[in-house]
Amino acid sequence: MMDLTTKEWVKHAVTHPFEGFEDMRWKKSGSLKVAFLIVFLLFLATIADGRLYGFQFGVSYDKTFNIIPYIVKSIVLFAAWVVGNWSICTLLDGEGTMKNICIYSAYALVPYIAQVFITVILSHFLIQDEVVFIQAIRILGTGWTVILLFSAIKSVHQYSFGKTVFAIVLTIAAMLVMLFLLVLFMSLVQQVYIFLSTIYTEISYRIRV
Amino acid sequence: MRNISAKLISLAIAGAAAFGSAASFTASAAEPYDVYNYDRWGEAIPSQAGYIADRAVSGIDLGVGAFSSPSDIFRDHNDIFYIVDGGNNRIVAVNSELTEVVKVYDSFTMPDGSKTTLKNPQGVYVSAENDWLYIADNENSRVLIADLEGNVIKEITKPTSEVYDQKRTFLPQKVIADKAGNVYVVLGNITTGAAMFDPEGEFTGFYGANRVQPTAEIVGNYITSLFTSEEKKARRRRNVPTGITSFDIDGDFIFTCTSSSTQTTDTVKKLNAAGRNIFANMELAFGDYTPMYDTSQNKVLQPAICDIDIADDGNINCLDFTTGRVFQYDEDCNLLFITGTIAKQVGGFDHVAALETMGENLYVLDSQKDTVTVFVETDFGKIVHKATALHNAGYYEEALDPWYEVLKHDGNYRRAYVGVASALLRKGDYEGSMKYAELADSPRIYNKAFEGYRMDWLKAHFGQLILGLALIAVGLFMLARLAKKKKAAELAQHMAQEDAAAEAEHQQHVREAARKAVEEMAEQSENEGKEDEQNS
Repeated sequence: MMDLTTKEWVKHAVTHPFEGFEDMRWKKSGSLKVAFLIVFLLFLATIADGRLYGFQFGVSYDKTFNIIPYIVKSIVLFAAWVVGNWSICTLLDGEGTMKNICIYSAYALVPYIAQVFITVILSHFLIQDEVVFIQAIRILGTGWTVILLFSAIKSVHQYSFGKTVFAIVLTIAAMLVMLFLLVLFMSLVQQVYIFLSTIYTEISYRIRV
Repeated sequence: MRNISAKLISLAIAGAAAFGSAASFTASAAEPYDVYNYDRWGEAIPSQAGYIADRAVSGIDLGVGAFSSPSDIFRDHNDIFYIVDGGNNRIVAVNSELTEVVKVYDSFTMPDGSKTTLKNPQGVYVSAENDWLYIADNENSRVLIADLEGNVIKEITKPTSEVYDQKRTFLPQKVIADKAGNVYVVLGNITTGAAMFDPEGEFTGFYGANRVQPTAEIVGNYITSLFTSEEKKARRRRNVPTGITSFDIDGDFIFTCTSSSTQTTDTVKKLNAAGRNIFANMELAFGDYTPMYDTSQNKVLQPAICDIDIADDGNINCLDFTTGRVFQYDEDCNLLFITGTIAKQVGGFDHVAALETMGENLYVLDSQKDTVTVFVETDFGKIVHKATALHNAGYYEEALDPWYEVLKHDGNYRRAYVGVASALLRKGDYEGSMKYAELADSPRIYNKAFEGYRMDWLKAHFGQLILGLALIAVGLFMLARLAKKKKAAELAQHMAQEDAAAEAEHQQHVREAARKAVEEMAEQSENEGKEDEQNS
């Protein structure tokens, strides 16, 4: 029963929103390598979304290209989700390991990524009046990913419906806390840097005199 | 004799000024500042000058003595300039070349024959309908209406109406009149708009008040006011918008400007007869997009539009007090040129006060330098104005050549790309239009051009497209069948293999069973033999 290859498992998980991840858990399958590949594709999709849209659907600021926001919007965001969910669900009797959370969540992102690439390609053939097709695909892809993500968290931790909702809300809160701490840390580092540079300037002036 | 010599001197100065201007023209790029414009992202980029400072005219040049804090300049329908010389309590009428004084108004004859003088006048207007002079006589708290000979026709003083708060002063700063003879007066310390008087001089109300800008503080105050008592509310500072600073009339519309360091909305308005602002919902920004930060004063230099003038061709000229710059917009509020700066040289200003236009020239009055600076249009300005006028009138194709010419002068000029893209779109050259729309960063035009381009492409390649689609469909069908066949074959092979394996297994079973049986039999016979031996 259910002897699928890695590729077939991705297909199975994506096309079976309710049992796909349960099956995966039952057969203890899912590959971390594939998960990382999907997150990398998410990163590419974020760039494509910001940069490669057809010109008739708006211009992107093309004087400079800064890759940091795209990394933050894809890879860092995903990492924050995984870490946040793991730290919350460890406390909430979740059964998932960090590895499994990462794999399942990444698999759930496939429809979103597909949607981005499809709409980016379509945007080069459609005009503004036909934007409804793009919107429909966007909503479909994003909605599907949301459902899959929910199902993934539910199966990986073996939660009930209500508990999954609770866990997801807490996960988002945890992500915000992490962001807050990160900003705090950055500003602290900056302060220390300014302090050191001031001391350096002061000393260098004294030496010169 | 003395008069003649003064005239001669003034002529000589004017001649020298004219010569100097000619020299500066040949030298070109004589502005004491870097000319810039804005790109689509609101970032300043170098640009070509649309105007160049020609000369600065002072009261001494005109032979009437230095101006003192002049506050307004107005050109009437006969191209006579009226300069309000507030510090000297007079109005100087100058000819269109700004070389000779036509008349100096310092005292007026009242209807009863007595003389009256001005006291710090601030604004002047001459109506084209009846040649009346309207003077905002600030410290006399009145608006004087006189004919061009200096005979007072009417005097408008502080209204006694209940609508006008009697505790408030009546200090006219600027005045205009519309075709029907209604008089509009900008008053100091009044934030409810310009006071409006009917042709008889009766107060009829206020016109064109600014809106309060919804800043965070004001929104917060509103929310707390829901919970505070009436007494507390009465004691709190009221939120009032900034009053109008200046205005200009163009046909049926009155354009107002507001110079304020805090208010950023409603700085320039286009009001119809009912007082409705046409620009209200257009999200326009006048003046510099990114205000400069002044390190010496530790403050952001917010634009403060202190005067506005509508040129004969409909262009809107705004004078920014903070930076001493004239921002010229076309009638659709697209920025055309930025001229002037804060500087000592000709073309730079100290305290700009008022702005006037005549034909292609700009006249800027400086109340500290006490001069009128004349800016003349450059070649580049001429082409841009020509192209803009054609474009705005809807003659896109006729505007195409001027726009190409503009691009030859200045490849950064965004409006030109928009113009070329629109013209090519109208012509049906969709591919070219797409190219220029992309250069102009205009998705709207690109969208239309792309629609046409796609339609053309579909028409030209419809057969191939259908053929291609059919081929792809057939190919997919074949592929699917092939895959099916392959799968079936594989399955069959697999089953056959399984059958063979099962057969082999079965045979082995049989063989083993036979062997076992044989062995058993052999054993049995052996045992029997043993038993036989024991028995025997």
